[in-house]
Amino acid sequence: MSGKATIFVIAGFSLLFLVIAKNFGDVSNRAVDNFIDYHKETVSHSIAVSGANLAANEIFLDPTWDDGFSNRPFQDGELDVSVQIIDPYQNIRQVTARGTFDGHTSIVKVKLAPSKFSKFAYYSVSEGGTIWWTGSDTVWGPFHTQDYMRVYRHPVYYGKATTKKKLIYYTSQSMDKPYFFGGYEQGVDLPLPTDAVDLMEPIADDNGLKFHGQDTVYLTFDSDTLKYRYSFSSPDTTIYLPGAAPNGLIFAKDCIVRMKGTVKGQYTIGCSSSGDPNKGTVYLDDDIVFEKDPRIYPTSSDLLGICAENSVYMTDNPPNHSDINIHASIYCEKGGFGAQNYDTRPISGNINLLGGIIQHTRRAVGTFGSGGIKSGYAKRYRYDDRLMIASPPFFPGTGGFEIVSWYE
Amino acid sequence: MGFTTILDILGSIIIGGLLMMIAWRLSEAATERTFNNSGELSMQQNLSTIANIIETDFRKIGYCDNYNKIPDPTKAITFADTSSLKFLTDVDSDGNVDSIFYYLGPTTELLSTPNPRDRILYRVVNNEAPIGSNLGVTRFYMVFYDALSDTIPPPVTTPGIISSIEINLMVEKVAAFVDSAAAYDTIPGAFWQQIRLVARNLKNR
Repeated sequence: MSGKATIFVIAGFSLLFLVIAKNFGDVSNRAVDNFIDYHKETVSHSIAVSGANLAANEIFLDPTWDDGFSNRPFQDGELDVSVQIIDPYQNIRQVTARGTFDGHTSIVKVKLAPSKFSKFAYYSVSEGGTIWWTGSDTVWGPFHTQDYMRVYRHPVYYGKATTKKKLIYYTSQSMDKPYFFGGYEQGVDLPLPTDAVDLMEPIADDNGLKFHGQDTVYLTFDSDTLKYRYSFSSPDTTIYLPGAAPNGLIFAKDCIVRMKGTVKGQYTIGCSSSGDPNKGTVYLDDDIVFEKDPRIYPTSSDLLGICAENSVYMTDNPPNHSDINIHASIYCEKGGFGAQNYDTRPISGNINLLGGIIQHTRRAVGTFGSGGIKSGYAKRYRYDDRLMIASPPFFPGTGGFEIVSWYE
Repeated sequence: MGFTTILDILGSIIIGGLLMMIAWRLSEAATERTFNNSGELSMQQNLSTIANIIETDFRKIGYCDNYNKIPDPTKAITFADTSSLKFLTDVDSDGNVDSIFYYLGPTTELLSTPNPRDRILYRVVNNEAPIGSNLGVTRFYMVFYDALSDTIPPPVTTPGIISSIEINLMVEKVAAFVDSAAAYDTIPGAFWQQIRLVARNLKNR
């Protein structure tokens, strides 16, 4: 009898221990499963992100690339990448990267849009010598230079700043470090094209307005109309601009453009040169502004691009001796944006620029001494935020894409 | 009834008592173990769930399916402090801009719970009323870095300068088996850290 009882007791306790041990084991396993699941998710996510980065790199190297990757082994998992054109008109592409690892799948979707130079608040190939960005300088939008970025006493960059060459501090990092509110990347090579202005000609022939065979073209924008003439003293011819340049491109071949006025709508002025360094130059004879300033009218759709094969200058004339207002994105393919006779002209007030400057070589707009401005202008540049998502018609593109949205 | 019978009864009582004590002790130990293990399991599940949610949300800072609605993603972080962050995103990928506000409630909010350190980590989408559940969060703090990977000292007066975020999260069990101050000093916790979280939309343009 006692033998049976002993067996029951032992069997009972064994059962009890087995149940408890199993429960403890289950709890431990589930605790470990937790971390394993998290690890698997993290790895599958990393694979998907890597796939998106690989695809972005392929598109960076070849903007037409849309092959994608299929079942490509990666990090002991697999990645699949597809590229779709989701907006053929604007050439918006979407990269969908799927990372799979041990039953877990993560998806990353990246949208890419063609990149235009007009998005820059400031771009230069050459900084024009040893020019320092100082603590009194603020750049409000995207910035890029192919040159060194020389900084002195904390200049401020509100947009993303990129440079091909390195940052140079005047004294030390702690004394001169810039404030990068939009991030900073070094080693970004973004060359300026050499034929973007020339390539505007066939577009202007197609459905734009073209001037050619003239030495100088005088353009005065007046809302919906454009007045033009070919000499200083000749009378203006007036045309209805939306009818004359339906695609928004006004092109002056191998000549000088002198312009001013009030722009309504979206237009780009192209000015080319066939080799004469004086041609392919745009002079701003007076204010050139939007009919509706987007700072006052946020829904304004007025946009202007001024694209010169050589340079864009603010004319040394009486209207420009007391401030100049410019609403445009300015592109200088071989030259720069500057003030005519910057070192001999009178003190001319402020350059109130709303837009951006894309130039080959940084040019001077005035001279300065210990007492302040000695000649020319003080700079008051503001970025037109709309240029982040819109650009004047046929404004030169970088030839590549930029990431506009990253979903993960 | 003889002497041996009495001995048998006494012996049985002693052995039975011992067995009962063993069973009682076993029960208590099993209960404590179950409580602790289950608590740790819950704690780890809470931690990984919160980490997942935080990672998913923070990676989408500045994201909008209609990217034209956040033309300048550098302005996506609207408020940042060591334990709170408010930013613009598109929560449900419907192309509309939403805001998410993460912040840590005070310990006084959870005085009724045994653990004196636990707090509610709030996640408020748009203008919803703040709702939180006690998942045992005792620490949630962030360190912000600028574009040159230098630490930005709190409070962050200009959130646009943030380039990457270090996230630290500590979760503890909401109750110890033995409810004493000493027990909470040694209560196990689980810690998760994202050393550098870069929201890719933040500086993509």
